[in-house]
Amino acid sequence: MAEVTLYHWEPNANSGKPMLALAEKGVAFDSHYIDMLQFDQHKPEYLAVNPQGTIPAMTHGGKVLTESTAIMEYVNDAFPGPDLMPADPQDRWRVRWWMKFMDQWLGPSFSMIGWCTFVGPALAQRSEAEREALIARIPLPERRAAWRKAMFAEFSESELAESKRRVAHGVTMLEEELGKREYVASNQYSLADINIFNSTYGLPVGNPELCSPQQTPNIWRWLKLVYKRPAVQQTWALGQGRFTDRFTAIMEEFG
Amino acid sequence: MAVPVLYHGEPNGPSLSVLAALYESGLDIECRPIDLLAGERHTLPGVTESVALDMAVEGEGPVLVAPNDSGGAEAMAEAVFLAQYFDEKAGGCGLQPSDAYARWQMLMWCRQATERLSPAVAYLGNLAWSQKRLAKMSQEEFERLLATIVSVDLRQRWQELRDDVVDAAKVEDSKTKVAQFAARVETQLADGREWLMGPFSIADLETYAWLRSMRELEADAFAGQRCCLAWMDRVEARPSVRKALARATTDNPAHAFAPGPEINRWG
Repeated sequence: MAEVTLYHWEPNANSGKPMLALAEKGVAFDSHYIDMLQFDQHKPEYLAVNPQGTIPAMTHGGKVLTESTAIMEYVNDAFPGPDLMPADPQDRWRVRWWMKFMDQWLGPSFSMIGWCTFVGPALAQRSEAEREALIARIPLPERRAAWRKAMFAEFSESELAESKRRVAHGVTMLEEELGKREYVASNQYSLADINIFNSTYGLPVGNPELCSPQQTPNIWRWLKLVYKRPAVQQTWALGQGRFTDRFTAIMEEFG
Repeated sequence: MAVPVLYHGEPNGPSLSVLAALYESGLDIECRPIDLLAGERHTLPGVTESVALDMAVEGEGPVLVAPNDSGGAEAMAEAVFLAQYFDEKAGGCGLQPSDAYARWQMLMWCRQATERLSPAVAYLGNLAWSQKRLAKMSQEEFERLLATIVSVDLRQRWQELRDDVVDAAKVEDSKTKVAQFAARVETQLADGREWLMGPFSIADLETYAWLRSMRELEADAFAGQRCCLAWMDRVEARPSVRKALARATTDNPAHAFAPGPEINRWG
């Protein structure tokens, strides 16, 4: 049995971050697949690990860690292997800045659109009573509100428009950033790349109007570079569905 | 430019925590006060790389302008990360634990402070102490200020503050979050520890700097929270914090607010 256990959903967004960080560091881990659409994350056996019912979570020996970006920072600090943070303090600051920008400003917009177009419809066949029962068992009030919106398709046009505005603006910012440096935030592959890649690897298929070799040549160059990393391919091979299918389709295009 | 400059508002919230972190580090960086509510943060001289200032999640926090790797001047923002930067630039001045798990715990605490406490405090503080000054500005003056703000959603928060748009649910939610955080500090200190994480750290500065103004505005939140109040006094007595507070140019820096981080819009 490995010393590390990771409780995760698909290699995508928050779950994908510690999966990829562990793969990059070469740390073996026991994988516990938490099926978000079956609400495994709110079942008693998972709440015993992470009472907040959020995914991912990681245990290392007797320690329990939550929050995907903070888990990645721990993984980088606690294990040997390639350093996923640059050495220069200003570069390190910039890595943290981009991760916070993704986690708090841009990521929630990607997520809202994804939940509206994928998560919500995937649950639409469940009865209203069943959906209410699933919501009632969610520990955090913010998460209850988010799931309610997704399950009952309560997204307003204005908030979806705002999310689309942010995604488009964020893609423009990323394109500019990758015009300045080889990777996000520094000239070294880092946690910022792992973080941002997990929310942007699907752009060529999901948002071809925003991301293409002509429109965003810097993002394209960077995506190709990251797609070809062995740890990235190893991580997306662990997926079970649409996210890995999307990854594979884009990988074929990159050759 | 060759010399870094820290532009800061009155010592309150992120400007207070960043100034104190700088003094803890002992780094020799020039500090220049700016009037955040006059929008001066958005017209800093000489900045060639401004994305972190323009799109700072924390809103109107302090800005460190430092030389970047392409010979220009980069605007650096976000209070916790500036504190980490000072600590690392100084070769480790004790603001971050060296153990990986202890560092994770500190970062998680700071995340709770920046994601839950600071938007709540900023919302209440701005309505209480900054709204009137913005409302008094002439339309022309306000529009000139707005035009310097790059972030569309930050601009929107300025506009709503001037127009006195008050969301009763957000006010209630913010009051609850302030009280919850004071209680959380009380619980954390219940085992008799001196500082939040055991040893002194960025978590103490960040939490104290946001709670400080609430002692007046949300006094009930601190009623009976003896450990929390004693800890706030201990933080305030640190030479770095006293030195930061001494940079005030107004009588009550705890009343100094400008539109801060947004309250979570999703999840």
